[in-house]
Amino acid sequence: MTGSIKPSFLLGRRRFLQGVGLAGAAGLVGMPFGRAFAAEPEKPKEIIVRAWGGSWVDSLKAGVSDPFTKLTGIAVRHDLTEDNEIQPKLWAAAAQKRVPPIHVNWDTTTNATKSALRGVTEDLSDLPNLKTVSDAAKPVGVDGYPIVNTYGYVYVLAYRPEAFPEGAPKSWNVLLDPKFKGRVAVYNDGIGLHFPAEVAGGGKLEDIPANMQPAWDFFTKLKANEPLMGEDPDFTTWFQKGEIDVACTISSNAREAKKNGIAIAWTVPDEGATYETDGLWVPKYLPENELYWAKQYVNFALTLDAQQVWLDGLGLPGVVPGLKPPADLVGDASYPTKDEDYKKLLRVSSKVQVEHESEWFGKFKEIMQG
Amino acid sequence: MRPSRTSYPLSWRLMDALEAIAAAVWPRSFSAAVPWLMLLPAVVLVGLLVLGLWDMADGSFRTLDTATFLPSDDYSLTNYHRAFTEKLFFTVASRSLIGSLIVTAVTLIFAFPYSYVMVRTRSTVLRKFLLIALFLPFFIGQVVRAYGWLIILGSQGMVNEALGLVGVSPIRLLYNYPAVLFGLVQYMLPFAVLMLAPALTAIPEEMESAAGSLGANWVRTFIHVVLPLAKPGFIGAGLVVMTLSLTDFAIPAILGGGSQDFIANAIYDQFFRTSDQGMGATLALLLVAVGSIMVGVVFALFGAGTLAIGRSK
Repeated sequence: MTGSIKPSFLLGRRRFLQGVGLAGAAGLVGMPFGRAFAAEPEKPKEIIVRAWGGSWVDSLKAGVSDPFTKLTGIAVRHDLTEDNEIQPKLWAAAAQKRVPPIHVNWDTTTNATKSALRGVTEDLSDLPNLKTVSDAAKPVGVDGYPIVNTYGYVYVLAYRPEAFPEGAPKSWNVLLDPKFKGRVAVYNDGIGLHFPAEVAGGGKLEDIPANMQPAWDFFTKLKANEPLMGEDPDFTTWFQKGEIDVACTISSNAREAKKNGIAIAWTVPDEGATYETDGLWVPKYLPENELYWAKQYVNFALTLDAQQVWLDGLGLPGVVPGLKPPADLVGDASYPTKDEDYKKLLRVSSKVQVEHESEWFGKFKEIMQG
Repeated sequence: MRPSRTSYPLSWRLMDALEAIAAAVWPRSFSAAVPWLMLLPAVVLVGLLVLGLWDMADGSFRTLDTATFLPSDDYSLTNYHRAFTEKLFFTVASRSLIGSLIVTAVTLIFAFPYSYVMVRTRSTVLRKFLLIALFLPFFIGQVVRAYGWLIILGSQGMVNEALGLVGVSPIRLLYNYPAVLFGLVQYMLPFAVLMLAPALTAIPEEMESAAGSLGANWVRTFIHVVLPLAKPGFIGAGLVVMTLSLTDFAIPAILGGGSQDFIANAIYDQFFRTSDQGMGATLALLLVAVGSIMVGVVFALFGAGTLAIGRSK
């Protein structure tokens, strides 16, 4: 993946990367920037990082982008184009060997894996901070590090406590309960629910992808319960407006809604909950100096201090050892820290997901649009 | 005696200079080409559209390889076969087609009295009010208007609050097919009124008076005089509303609650969710084809109405 870089630069760059790894730490404790970055390539005025909006970008800004700017003097601009919508632009730029519209893409691992398979990602194997991260940072099913996973997240069962006076629902089957007809919500592509549906529908996680029938049966019953289907902001709106009582959503969204005063709680039901990862990657065909600084941004995002602030904001477990969970999430099943926590979660390799996502999505849509 | 140069106004000299420049750039002998030159923007616009469609046509014959996420090198009809055989696409396509026809019919029914009153009223205050009410929605985007309906028709919205005052428990008014059609009608109404009004203005008021003086009541006048003469307006408005409804994205997405997708939503999903640009291109081309056929059939049966700019069939 680094074949296009001249050997002399490669050696120098590796030294720079190691140096900046140290300099990054030094910068945070007050070393003057001029000394820390004595021999780096020319700095661009800014780098552009694609991000999700709302609390997502606020957390990234506070934990990674602002400290990176303070350390390097390079401004970071956040491009809030949806991850699905930036993807074809990046693919088109790479196909035409054009400079891509962003320097760093904050992406889901599944989406990023597609880009890696298509060959539009730079290899990040030489980032110094990769030596200190957990195995969760390594993407599965691709060579090297075309993407670095930066944290994990859980698709929880979020609910309105008032609608569940006897306590948190224990099973995903609550989505099928006629009592909540028209008052349940799921993502409009079924993301996050396929694996729990497989288990709650009577199947096993190991059956995926060979036999998804239990999941399809679950969705067929769910259809009869007239679910609302939308995206992250819709869930918050629906809970706020009293349109729904229970939904499958990412824990961060539920936590953010709760912070904003919406009556909401969440749980990981007995069947488990989908665990996914997001990551950062750098698209191909950046000018060499910009590529260097884009990689530095990713490297910086893997420091303990950056992850602590960034992921405190999101309430998600990172990939750097030593991170402390936010006080409100200690012991929360949606913030796994121990092996037994992870055992409760449903994980399928991104390779399998990438290969079958289109087919699963089509089937989900076929059932729900019927 | 030769006139003094100072008596020749500066503005004339400027005009002479401009004419000389114009003659140098575009000699008088080229004048026959002027109409073609004026067509150039349209040709460029259509040319770009055709180029885009050609590119999409090429993509539509290529299938996605999920091992590399690249389109196949070889051509096949796989995407078209999927489009015609998979239940999802049939469901979404039929929902869009039926929806566009219902929206067109209902919108025309609502648009006609509005246009008629706006054109015929003798009250300038009322006419101005109707004109403002007509143009105001154009300043508010489609998405904002759709969200407005969430506030009005939601479970805790104004309508349900009003119903609650009389003891009626909240009713789910949103996130179903009727809600999508309702939103589309509201969105299309100004377009239809704008297309109908010129046709109604063109009907001499004396025609209606003459029908009345010959003994026709208002119903017969309406059926035998106004409606036939307003036909070009109905055709123009119908075509605009039908094509816009058929291809709408935002209203089904917002008011449908995710379960009432139209074709445009399915195309978006293929391009941006499953990364299958070939399938997205296939659906987009089929939508263009279906829309064009529908317009062609209307043209063939009824002419182009007000879209023909004064020329009737």
